[in-house]
Amino acid sequence: MMKQLLISNKARTILVLLFLLFSYTSFAQSLVVQGVVRDDKGVIPGATVKVQGQTNTAVLTNVSGAYKINASAGAILEISFIGYNTRQISLKDFKANQGVYTIDVDLETSNSNLNEVVVVGFGTQKKIDLTGSVATISGKALEDRPVVNVLQSLEGMVPGLNITQTNGAFDSPPSINVRGIGSISSASSASPLILIDGMDGSLTALNPDDIESITVLKDAAASSIYGSRAAFGVILVTTKKGKAGNVRVTYSNNFHYTSPVALPKSVDSYTFALAFNEADANGNSAPIFDAPHLQRIQDYLSGKITTTDIPNPTAAPGTIPQWADGYAYGNDNVDWYKTSFASSVFSQEHNLSISGGDAKTTYYLSGNYLGQQGLLTFSPDLYKRYGLSAKINTKISDYVSLNYGLREAREERQQPGAEGAGFYENLGRQGWPTLPLYDPNGYLFNAPSFALGLRDGGLNKHQQDLLDQQLSLVIEPIKGWKTIAELHYTTMNYFDHSDSQVTYNHDTAGNPIVSSSGSSVSETAHKENNYLGNFTTSYEKNINKHYFHVLVGSQIQSFQYRDVMASRQGIIVPDLPTINTTSGVSATGLVVPPSVSGQYQDWATLGYFGRLNYSFDDKYLFEANLRYDGSSRFRAANRWIYLPSFSGGWVVSKENFFKDNVKFMDLLKFRASYGSIGNTNTNSYYPTYITIPVQSANGGWLVNGAQPNVASAPQPVSTSLTWETVKTLNLAVDFGFLNNRLNGSFDWFDRKTLNMLGPAVELPVTYGVGVPPTNNTDLKTDGWELSVNWNDRMQNGLGYGFGLSLSDNQTTITRYPNPTGLLSTYIAGQKTGNIYGYTTLGIAKTQAEMDAHLATSSNGQTFFGSAWGAGDIMYADINGDGKIDNGANTLANHGDLKVIGNNTPRYNVGFNMHFDYKGFDMSAFWQGVLKQDYWAGGTVGNNNNYYFWGITDNVYFSTMLQGQQMNFFRGDPNDPLGQNLNSYFPRPIFGTNKNHFSQTAYLINAAYLRLKNLQIGYTIPGAVLKSIGIQKLRVYMSGDNLFTITKVPPQFDPETISGGQTGDSGRGQGNAYPLTKVISFGLNVTF
Amino acid sequence: MKNFKNKNYIGLIVIALSMFLAPSCKKNSLTITPPSNITPTDYLVEESQLGAYAIQQYAGSTSVTPNVGGILPSHRGVGQFTYGTFSLDAPTDNAVGTAQDNRYAPNLLLVPSGTNNWGFTDIYQCNYFLQTVIPRWKAGKIAGNAANISQYIGEMYFLRAYAYFNNLQNLGDFPIIKTVLPNDAAILTAASQRAPRSEVARFILSDLDSAAMLMQPQFDPGKNRLSKNCALLLRSRVALYEGTWEKYFKGTAFVPNGTNWPGASKSYNAGYQFKSGSIDNEIQYFLGEAMTSAKAVADAVALVNNTGTIVSPNNENPYFSMFSAVNMSGYSEVLLWRQATSTLFTHNVPVYGQLGNDGIGWTRSLVESFVMANGLPIYAPGSGWAGDDQITNQRTNRDGRLNLFLKEPGQKNVLVNFGQGDHETDIEPIPYIYMSSAETRYTTGYAIRKGSSYDGAQAKNGGGYTGSITFRATEAYLNYIEACYEKNGSLDGSATTYWQKIRTRAGINPDFNVTIAATNMAKETLDWGAYSAGQLISPTLYDIRRERRDELFAEGLRYMDLKRWRAMDQMITTPAHIEGINLWGSQKNSYTASQIIYGATNNNSVVSDPALGTYLRPFEVKSSADSYKGVRWIMAHYLNPIGIQNFLITGTGGDPSTSPIYQNPGWPLTAGSVGTF
Repeated sequence: MMKQLLISNKARTILVLLFLLFSYTSFAQSLVVQGVVRDDKGVIPGATVKVQGQTNTAVLTNVSGAYKINASAGAILEISFIGYNTRQISLKDFKANQGVYTIDVDLETSNSNLNEVVVVGFGTQKKIDLTGSVATISGKALEDRPVVNVLQSLEGMVPGLNITQTNGAFDSPPSINVRGIGSISSASSASPLILIDGMDGSLTALNPDDIESITVLKDAAASSIYGSRAAFGVILVTTKKGKAGNVRVTYSNNFHYTSPVALPKSVDSYTFALAFNEADANGNSAPIFDAPHLQRIQDYLSGKITTTDIPNPTAAPGTIPQWADGYAYGNDNVDWYKTSFASSVFSQEHNLSISGGDAKTTYYLSGNYLGQQGLLTFSPDLYKRYGLSAKINTKISDYVSLNYGLREAREERQQPGAEGAGFYENLGRQGWPTLPLYDPNGYLFNAPSFALGLRDGGLNKHQQDLLDQQLSLVIEPIKGWKTIAELHYTTMNYFDHSDSQVTYNHDTAGNPIVSSSGSSVSETAHKENNYLGNFTTSYEKNINKHYFHVLVGSQIQSFQYRDVMASRQGIIVPDLPTINTTSGVSATGLVVPPSVSGQYQDWATLGYFGRLNYSFDDKYLFEANLRYDGSSRFRAANRWIYLPSFSGGWVVSKENFFKDNVKFMDLLKFRASYGSIGNTNTNSYYPTYITIPVQSANGGWLVNGAQPNVASAPQPVSTSLTWETVKTLNLAVDFGFLNNRLNGSFDWFDRKTLNMLGPAVELPVTYGVGVPPTNNTDLKTDGWELSVNWNDRMQNGLGYGFGLSLSDNQTTITRYPNPTGLLSTYIAGQKTGNIYGYTTLGIAKTQAEMDAHLATSSNGQTFFGSAWGAGDIMYADINGDGKIDNGANTLANHGDLKVIGNNTPRYNVGFNMHFDYKGFDMSAFWQGVLKQDYWAGGTVGNNNNYYFWGITDNVYFSTMLQGQQMNFFRGDPNDPLGQNLNSYFPRPIFGTNKNHFSQTAYLINAAYLRLKNLQIGYTIPGAVLKSIGIQKLRVYMSGDNLFTITKVPPQFDPETISGGQTGDSGRGQGNAYPLTKVISFGLNVTF
Repeated sequence: MKNFKNKNYIGLIVIALSMFLAPSCKKNSLTITPPSNITPTDYLVEESQLGAYAIQQYAGSTSVTPNVGGILPSHRGVGQFTYGTFSLDAPTDNAVGTAQDNRYAPNLLLVPSGTNNWGFTDIYQCNYFLQTVIPRWKAGKIAGNAANISQYIGEMYFLRAYAYFNNLQNLGDFPIIKTVLPNDAAILTAASQRAPRSEVARFILSDLDSAAMLMQPQFDPGKNRLSKNCALLLRSRVALYEGTWEKYFKGTAFVPNGTNWPGASKSYNAGYQFKSGSIDNEIQYFLGEAMTSAKAVADAVALVNNTGTIVSPNNENPYFSMFSAVNMSGYSEVLLWRQATSTLFTHNVPVYGQLGNDGIGWTRSLVESFVMANGLPIYAPGSGWAGDDQITNQRTNRDGRLNLFLKEPGQKNVLVNFGQGDHETDIEPIPYIYMSSAETRYTTGYAIRKGSSYDGAQAKNGGGYTGSITFRATEAYLNYIEACYEKNGSLDGSATTYWQKIRTRAGINPDFNVTIAATNMAKETLDWGAYSAGQLISPTLYDIRRERRDELFAEGLRYMDLKRWRAMDQMITTPAHIEGINLWGSQKNSYTASQIIYGATNNNSVVSDPALGTYLRPFEVKSSADSYKGVRWIMAHYLNPIGIQNFLITGTGGDPSTSPIYQNPGWPLTAGSVGTF
């Protein structure tokens, strides 16, 4: 107790702590025990040797497997190492030689990962006894990754757990699903339930260092006990808690340099201008860069002139003109991507944890700080996380224990207000290299300059506090009967601040002129209360070889949130962007009423559940779950649902006939499960209530200079809405070979989502309003997951291992209201992700070739456009009807369309390898998607993704990036950009996208394999450290996203290919905030 | 176990059981009604709620983006980076955009596959309101000022009428739906039956009668809300539309009971009887209604004054500044306008007004239709026309409106707040006919300054905030004149007075007979409105149409007029050509050779070959362009094709012909097809 007090008082200063530990360990003196720990293959470095009952004395074996520990006579040593059965050795059995015992210990490998205990719903289970589909990740696997949030490091770790990050910005965390598409409903969602120590939580706010383990419950049998919010899997995060023993202090840090994984590169201004002029010429319109303008661009490039723009040529004589429009006149040479994103930024992370306790009470305390800088240059984007967690577990009496846990996570984000989808779009489509960045006076160019808004236009700040408290009472009056009453209370609140500032242009004389006149401050306060009560009571009993375990319980959850927003115009002093310091007057002197809003929302669920486990001799396993769930989202008549699930297993390797005959195999187990879960996650909290859309002072038609209150007709709803049900069948085999050094499992599943809230049968448009969703859509997702691991240590001490996780799933729509079989939406019987397209015959090299092609069809490709010539696409008439079109665009008649690919990511793979030798360790982790087709050309009917094509129909939605985009058809031998007859792209044409229809030639292979993490570390030998009181010290270097194998065009990142600006009919898709490559180093020390 | 005490044990069981049962006591906690949303029974029960609902429909029914779309046209409604309502004349013989529209390319305009051109969203919004409010109103259950309540109800009748009128113009026969229909395919299919167009027009007039009766003459002094005169003006527009349409299309498939009228193929419309007994009576009825409603407005609303001044920072010309004022409430003629402020619902009309009108090019046809100030057409002997070699010649001694609104190089575009706008064009340049971007391009060489502001501060990119006129009373004057002549074949006293007032205000000889007498129809063939059904019309009727064109140009009514006059038949056999300035006269000297490269097969050419004529033909530069063949027409284009998906949903077995909907004349029931006649 004394020591604990001392340490907690001084814990802030590591140096003092070091000293204390040093002085403490130096006076503990009695006998010395030494020896070597080995297994049948060699020595075991890193094994723990401790004296039983002496919680503060433990040592690790060094690289030669040797240990040396002080113990009193008659003590019992405990030697343990992961993957081996723990051994206890009494000193009584040995004789000391001059006060020194020399005891070599042989450890036997255990069926380690089978006896491993896995956290499952409302309890734990031995891995060998599992019958559902459950995967686990230990906190260790996530250690020392330089990631902003733990989701990023989970990518590829667990087969079937799919993490997708389509944008690198701080406010777009990765999305997550278990086993692929669960729902195509627009009225409900299919995301997995994330529980941190049993309570809903945010993985982005969690300190990765606090994670003890993560369990993913994938099938219905495993997750149904959690009821109606667990239909699409559950991710259970268990955080660390204290262990009885001496005080253990761990400190780790991480310093990292972040840079963009891939940044597109712009062509130079002259090439750009020529390319755009060519698109104009092809579109029968005048060149956008006329001869004098082109000359200025060349002169600037060659250094003849240094001015990036000219004064407005139409200014009145005698007045001070502004600079001429940057698009019409600018002659700069800017790479906007390079200018807007930094090549490298620095960030850091620190973690400190202290844990310990005695037989009655244990504690764990941790603190975490992450300061992450974003890549934006004109105004920094920042992310900070402060974490604090505490856990106390104490035994009140022999049969009652009380646990209290507290977790506080603060997240802060700052971004320039001008960042967002519009910003990426501006970079892509309006970041013409000719657009001046600075005017000739050195001010950010006057208009339009998106750098100005980014730098001076104001900031968005977000501060979020999540406080999670949990109290549980565990009563075990007689052995086997355990009752747990648990209360969770989580409050989350955030404040969002955003200010927009007046920005100033500068005229040719350098005088400031108001550019963006709107200045305002907006503040949003949001608070969530989440209350969860769990009550379970369970009884387990072994009778001979029969094992029973029964659990019943109830769960009530209530969630409420409220928010308040206020915003007022007219910042008085730019440095004081608060509501108090706004005038309420716009820049033009209009009094503008403040904008305010506020709301309350809540939902609740209530569930009763029971589980029965039975096994015989650990060979035959059976489990049944039943849950009865009610949700506030449905009306009384449809509110309650029974959710049953069953699973069973057969451990073949325990059968004598197997044991006797199959020596090389240690484990063979078959599992099967089936279950049904309801999904209550409708997007609306009150999907059965009709509400009037009312907005205050928000009308678009001003009345006397002010926005009026507005309202409109309510959206009809279906009051008979009820549960979506999800039925999962899972068949699996677990196996272990060669002393379990090789082990793994294979799962096959079939998950049906039934009665999804789909669109009602398409109604005649005389209805006049959106048809409300009803329970009328089904889908099926089936797939498999394979995980295989090999772990071994060689005689020479080299430890190594490989792990592969591979999964695949595909979704088929089995019921969908599309009676006319329109291709533009889902069709029953079809797989999701099908890409319909035309077949490309090629690019016509001459007008004659095109004319000959046009003559083969009766409509001469007019379906796509007109004025066909050299450099245009020749589409194929694949159905041979003499015309080239999409027929009725239905499944029955789709003309010359066919399925040219499928954009479902197939074969998600994660592969890790690790080595360690004499304190050195190295690991590499690869993640990827092995098969995926992607159509990056834009949405059907628009085909206007400039980020792919470069030049599209619209001059202001076009771009020209280095690499592929320049490889367009140029027929003229005198073309200033050089003739290019064997081009990848057709000729660029402003005014039409006729060449850009979805087609075979431009389908992208979006498969990739990415080196997600490479880590090299060195653990300094214990002998060296012990003298300064350190148990373990590891230094490491780590790199994330270092290397990617992919065939996507260079401007794309295969992970963000569907991110970016997607709302504007697919323009700029893939043009997103870049993902980051991170090089980091740090240390990890345990005292 | 040694510390085990019976008492504790029982106590714990009690606690445990009570915790288990506790949730069940709270079963009612699962009944949660929306805590901060309003349910329909609580709304539309009080005056201000009616007003809030109605005003939302002006600008749009989509609450997510209240700034875009909407039932009524306005600058911002057309789009922030457009020339606002002034762009709505394109593409017609008044104005064109930078590329030719497929409307004039019979081989390129296709039957859509989706549910296009068949929409009921705005109508639903109106029907929900009327169905909910009228019974409550009749039962006296709406709280508030009676006059205000009736105003708002009137507004909704007006808006429904406007939404229906859009459909009448685009589609003709159209289902009349007055209520909110249930979520039932059979009922909705039955409701898809198209009412003959004369019924639709009568329904619109009846809604406008309700609107005129319920709305006040001047409910909002700022004129940002609808008024009785708006209803009467629209009523005259609709009646004139239908009257003239039925007159010129009489006997064709485009009117009920005409030859091959597709409505006859459906049992519900077979044997249709006009309300008034015959189409001739119907025409008389509509023209008469047009006169009555137009007269009520014309007599009530005076024209604003035109001082003739074009450029003056201090001496305002109301007729000029009416179109660009920040506050339009003071102009008698403006019946309804949409306001913008520097921070809300800004647009780019001032920027484009100062430069090339966002690529909207005004045609030689429009410019030449204006008469001389003395009332003579330009070609008339002794007219004094200065020719068209330079733009300045066109303005000399012409109709004051052309003089006011046609831009000329060297003119001032900014008079106050120089340098405040980042996209100012202070001095009107030589027309940038060689520019590519719509933002800078003078497509035809002619640009206008209707709606232009002389305030430099308005010329901020996307940040203009001039008002936007939705209804202008002058149209009523013109509606009356035309309806009167179409109905009676002569002009009555009111028509004469109205016409003289307009001509006087325009700055031309008020004696229109001078113009009529000098009009030679053979010289007016550039004006599509000189024709009806392929025949040149009489000089009097033509001059009535000419007046309408020259007064209302750039106000978005031209295409509506051309359709109802059936003024495009002549282009079925003889393509028309869009022409701009007289480039190959002396004007060519304003440009460098590289700016006016020509040649039908020259990849770098930017203007039309002088071999095609001295006038710039913006769409006939390269022979590879589809528009090189000129502006063509087929009858089918008078009405829009209905998207095929509509037929499939309401039909059976994927056979569109089983639908109660029938396709418009000349359009096949196959998606992707072109019009057949």
